[in-house]
Amino acid sequence: MSQTSYNNLKFKTMSKTKTILLLTFCFLFSTFHCVAQVETPALPQKGTILLLNGYAHIGNGEVIENSVIAIENGKLTMVADARVVKFDVSKYDTIIKLEGKHVYPGIIAPNSTLGLTEIEAVRASVDEAETGTINPHVRSLIAYNTESKITTTVRSNGVLLGQITPRGGLISGTSSIVQFDAWNWEDAAIKKDDGVHLNWPNMFSRWNGEKNKNYDKSIETITTFFDNSKAYCNIESHPEKNLRFEAMRGIFNGTQTLFIHTNYIKEITEAIAFMKKYELKKMSIVGGYDAWMIAPLLKENNISIVLKRLHSLPERQEDDVYLPYKMPKILFDAGILFCLENAGDMETMGTRNLPFYAGTAVAYGLTKEQALQAITLNTAKILGIDATTGSLEQGKDATLFVSIGDALDMKTNNVVLAFIQGRQIDLNNHQKKLYEKYSEKYKG
Amino acid sequence: MKKILYLICVLWLTNSTAQETFMVNGTHDKNLNFYAFTNATIYTDYKTKIENGTLLIQNGKIIEVGEKKKVKIPKNAVIYDLKGKFIYPSLIDIYSDYGMPEVKKERNNPRFSPQLETNNKGAYNWNQAIKPETEAGKLFTPDEKQADEYRKLGFGTVLTHQKDGIMRGTSAFVTLGDENANLVLLNEKVAAHLAFDKGSSTQDYPGSLMGMIALIRQTYYDVDWMYNNNNITENNLSLKSILDSWELPQIFETKDKLDILRADLIGDEFNTQYIFKGNGDEYQRIAEIKKTEGKLIVPVNFPEAYDVEDPYAAMLISYSDVKHWELAPYNLGVLAKNEFDFAITAADLKDKKSFFINLQKAIKSGLSKENALKALTYNPAQFINQYDKVGSLEKNKLANFIITSDSLFEEKTTIHENWIRGQRYVIDDYNVVDINGDYNVNVNGTVYELSVSGEKEKPAGKIKFFILTDTISVDASISRTGTSISLSFNPSDSIKNNGYVRLAGSINHNGVIWDGNGQLSNGNWVKWSAIRKKNGTKKEDKKLVVADSLIVPTIKYPNMAYGFDSLPKPTTMLIKNTTVWTNENDGILKNTDVLIQDGKITAIGKNLVAEGAEIIDGTNKHLSSGIIDEHSHIAISRGVNECTQAVTAEVSIADVINSDDINIYRQLAGGVVASQLLHGSCNPIGGQSAIIKLKWGHTPEEMKIEDTDGFIKFALGENVKQSNWGSFNTVRFPQTRMGVEQVYYDAFIRAKEYQTKWDAYAKLTPKQKETAEAPRIDLELETLNEILNKERFISCHSYVQSEINMLMHVADSMGFTVNTFTHILEGYKVADKMKKHGAGGSTFSDWWAYKFEVNDAIPYNGAIMHQQGIVTAYNSDDAEMGRRLNQEAAKAVKYGGVSEEEALKFVTLNPAKLLHLDDRMGSIKVGKDACVVIWSDNPLSIYATVEKTIIDGVVYFDRKADQQLYLLNQKEKIAIIEKMIEEKKNGGKTQQPKQKKQTHYHCDTVGE
Repeated sequence: MSQTSYNNLKFKTMSKTKTILLLTFCFLFSTFHCVAQVETPALPQKGTILLLNGYAHIGNGEVIENSVIAIENGKLTMVADARVVKFDVSKYDTIIKLEGKHVYPGIIAPNSTLGLTEIEAVRASVDEAETGTINPHVRSLIAYNTESKITTTVRSNGVLLGQITPRGGLISGTSSIVQFDAWNWEDAAIKKDDGVHLNWPNMFSRWNGEKNKNYDKSIETITTFFDNSKAYCNIESHPEKNLRFEAMRGIFNGTQTLFIHTNYIKEITEAIAFMKKYELKKMSIVGGYDAWMIAPLLKENNISIVLKRLHSLPERQEDDVYLPYKMPKILFDAGILFCLENAGDMETMGTRNLPFYAGTAVAYGLTKEQALQAITLNTAKILGIDATTGSLEQGKDATLFVSIGDALDMKTNNVVLAFIQGRQIDLNNHQKKLYEKYSEKYKG
Repeated sequence: MKKILYLICVLWLTNSTAQETFMVNGTHDKNLNFYAFTNATIYTDYKTKIENGTLLIQNGKIIEVGEKKKVKIPKNAVIYDLKGKFIYPSLIDIYSDYGMPEVKKERNNPRFSPQLETNNKGAYNWNQAIKPETEAGKLFTPDEKQADEYRKLGFGTVLTHQKDGIMRGTSAFVTLGDENANLVLLNEKVAAHLAFDKGSSTQDYPGSLMGMIALIRQTYYDVDWMYNNNNITENNLSLKSILDSWELPQIFETKDKLDILRADLIGDEFNTQYIFKGNGDEYQRIAEIKKTEGKLIVPVNFPEAYDVEDPYAAMLISYSDVKHWELAPYNLGVLAKNEFDFAITAADLKDKKSFFINLQKAIKSGLSKENALKALTYNPAQFINQYDKVGSLEKNKLANFIITSDSLFEEKTTIHENWIRGQRYVIDDYNVVDINGDYNVNVNGTVYELSVSGEKEKPAGKIKFFILTDTISVDASISRTGTSISLSFNPSDSIKNNGYVRLAGSINHNGVIWDGNGQLSNGNWVKWSAIRKKNGTKKEDKKLVVADSLIVPTIKYPNMAYGFDSLPKPTTMLIKNTTVWTNENDGILKNTDVLIQDGKITAIGKNLVAEGAEIIDGTNKHLSSGIIDEHSHIAISRGVNECTQAVTAEVSIADVINSDDINIYRQLAGGVVASQLLHGSCNPIGGQSAIIKLKWGHTPEEMKIEDTDGFIKFALGENVKQSNWGSFNTVRFPQTRMGVEQVYYDAFIRAKEYQTKWDAYAKLTPKQKETAEAPRIDLELETLNEILNKERFISCHSYVQSEINMLMHVADSMGFTVNTFTHILEGYKVADKMKKHGAGGSTFSDWWAYKFEVNDAIPYNGAIMHQQGIVTAYNSDDAEMGRRLNQEAAKAVKYGGVSEEEALKFVTLNPAKLLHLDDRMGSIKVGKDACVVIWSDNPLSIYATVEKTIIDGVVYFDRKADQQLYLLNQKEKIAIIEKMIEEKKNGGKTQQPKQKKQTHYHCDTVGE
């Protein structure tokens, strides 16, 4: 059986005991004895860990074929070529020999509703869209469910962080970035309230294809709100607070990013003009189906793209049949900063396929390392968390995973080890447990 | 006052042609005078022309028509000299709802709530959309406004019916005269009408196109049953009406060219040949439509050019829409060239005024004027058996004709008069001279320049005069009645006349000189005259000619992006030195050659040689059997679900295959060669499925795989019990899993009883049969019996183990096997039971969490079922996933450790087995169909791309050709867009671009 898992390895890294693990040992599911147990967040890292001889994919385009990676206090203290640097193994409490397995920075899922929606068709389990059209004050973070059964299936494919984003309305609300191994949303938060999400209205109706008669009205609603909130934010404190206006402060002072969700060429162009008008420092386009057609405009204005789900059909009959697959390469060649997202039907459960979107981008032009960057470091940059995460670089959080084979190819993606901020997380999940349970049944 | 005058006028007219049975107010006014029309060019029919002819009519009928010298004009004849003018038989439109009352859709039950039964409580059909009892003759009342509109276009008669419902009843043949209905109604029952359109019916069934087709078929069987049985208790006026009108022409309205083929198949089954009301896109499937042998009624509603000067706006319009815009005017010419019998209708025109403009376009695009006239006179009359009355100018036919200024269809031609049943309707009085032009107007010695333009009856004027070196121009209002004219203008800056100059007088000498008296603002009366200097610019005197070298723009197959110019043919191909995934005992063969001939795999081996074969270098590439998608909803027209009843086994996706779905091409680009197009999952027993090869460019019938076992969709769970349909849908049984079981038992028990009844009836002696009530053919139960007889096989949408178990119990006790559980996300829980029952599993690789019943779905499901010996496949249920099923197969390696060789079978050989196609597809074996894919890499790798997709030895997708096609389509689109911009510049009408989004069907898509 080729299934290899290390999920139940308990690292008892006492200060004086040293554990050396050879990660070639095969654990069968049948050896699991924690079937009924809900995955528990790992304890904060204690001691030091050394990952030896892994094929490290840094996330910035570089690789180290034979790497040595040190983790201390949740941080990467060394990422180097094992053949070049000198290091003293005896200084580390735990040494994990990776023997050529692949090490990646934790994949980041931007524009995600993980933890907000559990079962799409069960209304009571859906917490993603507030009523009303202008809701910047609505915050995803406090609704983020750390017990979601979906999240554990996502992280076992290497997706370890997410930007939890509200949906609906013209301004859906404020997102936050979380890590996927936490007791509660406070623990989970990596970056609270990172950005506000604006759904740019479509010029054409989604239903009948006719001109959207409400377009001008919607734009007026948005500009009126921006005018007013901007004026309001010129003063630090108000005797009578307006929560909606308050929620925009970070957008105007440049501490938060405005994410404009839009796909088509005219709308994107208008959104860019809008950004200029309000002198917004940080803006990103989410979706961007037509972005490739106006790459110079994006480049000139330094606009990044959170690119629409790669596994999509072309939208226009005569579009290149592989256009969605080819977009990353086109944007890359045009020098646009972009990352991949997966919003759409079944988005929460589909988050675990993010690495394979990157893989598809490789089949249609990118190199593997460029594609990896589009789900790690680029995402971190666009979300403004690249100082601490997104790549395997010294000083950053030790948020990474190990796969036996190439993680961008489903055939070989087999995550056996994952750390979030140095904590080794439990890779078990509801689905693996059911697999084990019924495998046992048929053995019987 | 005007109104009263009008009324009197109408009364007078009415009296003058009084019908025998009516009371007459005042003096009788019988008029048996003759009318003679002389010196005209007369078209007695579409192909016969008499120069200098005479037409003689009396009492609404034609007495004689012929050369001047041969026709003797009686003394009591009113004579009209039509020198230089033309006479044609009046035009006939046989697709009209003229004079029909408006149909309103009335709901009796709350909105959104299902309506399972008809609202019509009479002794009519059970389905509200079946209204064959409707008689247009009884509903008809003349409508002068509509009639006037038709008359202006030269029409004299129309066939009218109520355009409502699937079976719409009979039509009436009426004149467009402004007379009492008793005289206008020529024949009250002429043709029977059908359409794929529920109209005002508020009943749920049928909720899809396939439901409509099934309903029509069932209704015909019911008629047959009623006709052949003397002992039926049920009285059904609808069925009787169908029977009564069976011998009449049957006119079937369709929404596109594929509908014509669909309707014809129904006709073939019941030995009737429909006349098809088409849509103007027949050119796209001309050969197949020709084979139907149906006559056509075709509109001239060519699409208006899109307003596409904004290049972004142009992106909103699809290639197929611009292509249809370019080709639509050629449609009639193409029909004529292919020797169709077709009639032209003015129906479907947004603006009836564009009728002649579009006809002229059609003539420029290859339709001869003779054929145009034939399609407006002879053919429509023949189609509805009324040629004894109309359609030509012959003795005893109705005196229905038009008088035109010139040869009909020419741009400059005016229709002067339209005579209907001997009554004259003036449209553009030829006695009224055209006064458009430039004049010098002399008012008491002061000369003004006047230019007149505008319509004949409503002229508009401009006065120019000169003060020193300045030219001043003011509006002049002109009104004319017959030969008297009045003219007023205010040359206020003029030195001589300060204030209004008001002139009145008469038009003399054919409009060249006007004169009379006028009054100036100072009150003085003066003499005035006007002399024409220049005639008005007339419509261009260009003859409509069809260029000998007329080139019809390329029609694509299908007529959309990535369509073929001509269909590709099978070739002999030798793929050399490649890695072959055989799916047979040989496993994966390296450095191997595969030979394809005549659509089959003919050799597999090393160093193969084949004469004349195209050599394809397969080095570093992989060859596998083509992907087969067990569960797809692409390529379906107007509805994937017939949700309206719990059991709809009578409907079939095979009736509604849409060969024009771009997703066919997109699946080919993902290596898919065949798909089972399944009915949706909204009822326990859904419809029959279609199994097609993705032969892009071919017709629906050609795509169907021949001689396959039939399949049918069953479904369990939330969709069936309408869990996620909102709070209105709590009416239709079943609403729980408990109810689902009973639906199955009820259905199969009924099916068995039905068979018993037929068996018993078959045993009766002929004499006994005479007194027995014959069973009725029930398409739903027939289908269920096919299942019981192992002639049709089930693919059942399923998720939760309890209900899967339940259906296997039902099946076991009723004596059939569930062939495939599709989706089957909890198959891993009951794999042992499935194995025992003999069911296969076609599942998703990793879908879950989208609804409550998939909470226990796991990506290891495929692996477990496979390991338990179940034939396991991965399906898509989704056009997007359908084109990367190879990647989904790879997930069986990831989740559960299935070997690569076995994993690829999940999307090739295993679905072939589930669809009973493995004798001819699913593996690389000599003798099997050449349905193969050449990949750039290991097909299970995410890095693999499709290089070629081959079906039956034909390359339907080629990566390189695809890129060329893409560029070509872009170029072609721009070229047509430029034509559209030209059209706009030349004054053509335009429409705003609309963003059309295609509906992608899933299991649970309701509606069209």
